[in-house]
Amino acid sequence: MTEPRNPGMSAIPQNNPTQTETSAQAVEMDPVEYTLRKRLPRKLPKRRNDVYVNMKTDFRAQLARCQKLLEGGGHREICVHGLGLAINRAINIALQLQASSQGALQLAANTSTVELIDDLEPEDPDEAGEPMTRTRNNSAIHIKVFYPVPQ
Amino acid sequence: MSSAKAKMREKKMRNQPASVQYPSCSQVENGGRGEDHHVSEGGQSDALPSSKRQRTPSDRSGWVRGHQKDGGGYAREMPKYITGGAFARARAAEVNAMLKAVTKTTGSSQVFASLPRHMRRRAMSHNTKRLPRRLRDLANRMREKSLQAGPKKKKEPAKGKSRKARRRHGNLLLEFNRRQRKNIWLETHIWHAKRFHMVKKWGYCLGERPTDKCYRPCYRAMSSHCLLQDLSYYCCIELKGEEDELLAALSQLTCKEAGPTFAAAVSLSGGRQGSVTVYRAGQYPSQPLGPVSYLWRPRTPGETHRQLWIWAHPTLKQDLLPELQSVCRCSEAVAPPVEPEVSNPEADHVTVAEPKPGNKGKPGAKRKRSCKDAGEPPPKKIVGDGTRLPSTPVTWKSSSTGIVINDLTMEILRYRLIGPQSHSVLAETLEAATVCDGSMKEQEPLLWWPQHCKDQSNMDLLQQQTDVFNLLKGVCSTGELPPGTVLGLTVDDPRLTLPKRKVKAVPSVNQSQEADEEKRSELKLRGVPQACWDSLLWEQSVRDNVTDNKISEKDLNCMRSELLVPGSRLSPTPPQGRVPILLVHQPGKQVGDELNSWGAGWDLLLPKGWGMAFWIPLVYRGVRVAGLHMSLKHSQNKAAPHFPHDYPDCPAGARFQEEQEAELLDRFKRRPPAKRANYIKHGCLAPFRCPWQQLAEEWELLMREEGAEGKGDEQSAAKTDVVTEEVASQQNTAPTYRPSCFYILRNRRSLRLLSGWCRPTTSKGQRPCRGAAEAPPLTPAAVTSFCSAHRMSLVWVRLTLLSKGKPEPHAMVCAPTAEDLKLFGKKLLSSGPQEPPHKDHLKCRIKSKKKSSKEAATSLPPSDEREVSDITPASDPNPSKDPHSSSGLVLGVWPDPLPSVTSHCSRVTLGWVTQGDFSLSVGCGEALGFVSISGLLDTLLKQPVEHRGKLLLRNPSSLHYRWVKLNIDV
Repeated sequence: MTEPRNPGMSAIPQNNPTQTETSAQAVEMDPVEYTLRKRLPRKLPKRRNDVYVNMKTDFRAQLARCQKLLEGGGHREICVHGLGLAINRAINIALQLQASSQGALQLAANTSTVELIDDLEPEDPDEAGEPMTRTRNNSAIHIKVFYPVPQ
Repeated sequence: MSSAKAKMREKKMRNQPASVQYPSCSQVENGGRGEDHHVSEGGQSDALPSSKRQRTPSDRSGWVRGHQKDGGGYAREMPKYITGGAFARARAAEVNAMLKAVTKTTGSSQVFASLPRHMRRRAMSHNTKRLPRRLRDLANRMREKSLQAGPKKKKEPAKGKSRKARRRHGNLLLEFNRRQRKNIWLETHIWHAKRFHMVKKWGYCLGERPTDKCYRPCYRAMSSHCLLQDLSYYCCIELKGEEDELLAALSQLTCKEAGPTFAAAVSLSGGRQGSVTVYRAGQYPSQPLGPVSYLWRPRTPGETHRQLWIWAHPTLKQDLLPELQSVCRCSEAVAPPVEPEVSNPEADHVTVAEPKPGNKGKPGAKRKRSCKDAGEPPPKKIVGDGTRLPSTPVTWKSSSTGIVINDLTMEILRYRLIGPQSHSVLAETLEAATVCDGSMKEQEPLLWWPQHCKDQSNMDLLQQQTDVFNLLKGVCSTGELPPGTVLGLTVDDPRLTLPKRKVKAVPSVNQSQEADEEKRSELKLRGVPQACWDSLLWEQSVRDNVTDNKISEKDLNCMRSELLVPGSRLSPTPPQGRVPILLVHQPGKQVGDELNSWGAGWDLLLPKGWGMAFWIPLVYRGVRVAGLHMSLKHSQNKAAPHFPHDYPDCPAGARFQEEQEAELLDRFKRRPPAKRANYIKHGCLAPFRCPWQQLAEEWELLMREEGAEGKGDEQSAAKTDVVTEEVASQQNTAPTYRPSCFYILRNRRSLRLLSGWCRPTTSKGQRPCRGAAEAPPLTPAAVTSFCSAHRMSLVWVRLTLLSKGKPEPHAMVCAPTAEDLKLFGKKLLSSGPQEPPHKDHLKCRIKSKKKSSKEAATSLPPSDEREVSDITPASDPNPSKDPHSSSGLVLGVWPDPLPSVTSHCSRVTLGWVTQGDFSLSVGCGEALGFVSISGLLDTLLKQPVEHRGKLLLRNPSSLHYRWVKLNIDV
């Protein structure tokens, strides 16, 4: 977690095909131009009390969803997950929940590393040939927000 | 008086008292009221009510209503006296007659016609209990009467066999085969026909949408579980030959600029499915044909002979096939019986007993013969294409290049599963084939599987493929896999593992082990290993063998009934129950930043004949089934153009547009004129189609005028620009076609450039795209050079509404004025500018025409008059009556030579929307369409940086402009 692994570049094994010129006009292309295409992160099965935080939905709406789960939904605990940029927001939501509950709620945070996959598609498929796939790591946070069990 | 009238009158007169005499209607007043008239002499008090009584509604036809001008015969016939008794009797008879007339219903009217409209209920005549009680008796009586009368009349046309006979299996099959002659039925047709609205399209019978309400459930299935579609109507064209020859031929159809071609290294190896837009040979960028997806068979080591499948839409096939033939120089059609590999003889083999009724032309005779002749084998189900003549060639060979083209239409089925859980549905439904044990006797040397099992290398391959397939169970979402992956497999008959009741397939993540985890990440990273790409589905002989030896449902049930434990799995698996399949991953949304890989899924390719055997087990895994409507919505959510709707520059797309216009206009004309939208007043020139050609021409003209105004020096300066060089280099590709015909920009480089220009550089939330630094800024010089390169082109855009509103197809995309933008900054988003209502100058023309036509044809009954004005001469059944409407005027729609489309409204039109709806995935209105490149760049250039890419959208039947954000996704 401390140090991101080297992005493992791995090309799909290919036996080099015989190339044919597809078009007469040769447009000069940058040979190392790729289109980056991010694949979805691994999705885990979702319980009812899991909240995945994103950056697109309105903050207040996400907060309200959590509050509803805790108060109306009858859950004793919920899990707030955030990945990458959304970590900040996940923390924010958890703290807001705690503050608004007047200390009744407790937090337990866990961090983890999520492996993500990117596809690199060559701009000019015939010349460069090999599409690449690489992995990179991103941090994630999982915050458990719960009512402590009374002793 | 016509005979019918006379009859009616006779009927009326039956109940009249003898003393009251009605004259025939020409001389009503004087004769008929003779007795009244003398009363009027006797006393006014009597005369008035009686004459009123005469006018009560009870008197019917034969009477002249209203006051007569000649004053009647009051003065002519004046009796001297009246007899009291006779007079009273006559009155009594009259009263009786009137009472009778009031109570008696005339023959045609129904009981419930006397009810007020709000008290009427559906199907009242069917169920009399829906009537109020006081009317029930009457209704019952009438129903009985009609029941007595009805059957006699209806029986006559119905001829021949009883329902029982008709529903007998053999006869039903014959009937089905007869109905398949015109339009091809898919193998799941009967299943669909029970549940879907079927349409006849492109020579097929296809399900349009389910009869139950399921728009949202279908969307939910797409985005969270799995949606199933039968795409077997897509046509597969097989090309075989040397790799070099094939690539050389196919390279004429595509261009590298528009993205990966057939030669793309990833797909050429056979590991990925590719998709490409095909053009007429050497005509890029004009004259496109349409999009196809293609799949290469993986190489067998040490061979250069390759096999390629091209999947195309049926409307595209008729253009594509001749083009392929000319490109590959495959002119020699191979007669079907000669070539053993041709699909059709084998189709005949299946249907050999069923002497294709469509081809012989005497179905009646055939049916009789098959009924009489018990010795003849029973009719067989048509498997494959039933509309094609057996003599039609499906294979073409080339002597010079050695390429063989095979038309595999309806030979291979294609089921599409869309949604993140589609792989778990597949994993649950399919089970890798079990190996035949050696003890299997050689009683069936025909079957391919036992033969296949003998080879150990085949078994190893199967094991490998099975391992990969089992890995899929642990994958959580289809979008995690490499896009376009191919996996070949042989599976057991899925009917054997059919669950008792519908279950919902879910991924089984928890049971996955660590070791699997490693393999799984390997699968995600590298895709399916190369050995697993191949499938025996590529082999014609295996396909045929599998199709021919399918166990019928009945036999399977017989075998099941002999099981010791009812309901247990049939084991060992019968040797016929192995099917080679091919699984092809379909990438989801790949363009744009949002909702990545939404709508990803798998395609399941099957040999023909096995359609229902796989369909039902899939349905039992809790998928939802959708029709054509949903596939349109699917591509709309993916922001991808849908064929043929969104390919107006392709011949198939142009044909589609014409059909759509005719249909929409027809629907419009079916409304009553008072209820139609007057599109002229709304300032909408073309509510039913998009005149792309005119738009492109007008914008080209506008830009040229603008350029001529005084930018000569600037243009020369632009020539030196580096960017310009790049763009201008694309200019020389096809200069000859540019003035003639519009085309859609598919050049990736240009699209990327344009996409960068469209987004505001300062707005929050819009992170600059990768490589934004190297992209040239939006300058007049760059724009001019870009425009000169793509003068007549349109570009595919996605428009997101910034406020409320639901865009509709054919809505106008307009450029906001400077004042609009200023207001936009100040006011709330919701209020866009308004279009001032236009004046309908044509209305008076239509009206005058109506008048003149009225004068011309006074003899027309009044009910017809209204229609005369509506009918265009094209559809006018009798144009002689209406000689004036030469220009085809329809109230509220502009006649054909349209005025300038760009400058017709107060805001300049840039383009139109082809698909628009409220997008459930984004949560606001979203529209897809085309805009003219010259117009777009002109607009962008004038807009301030922070408002760049903000346009206006107006529905055809509205005056309100809505703000939209323009996106060009690459």
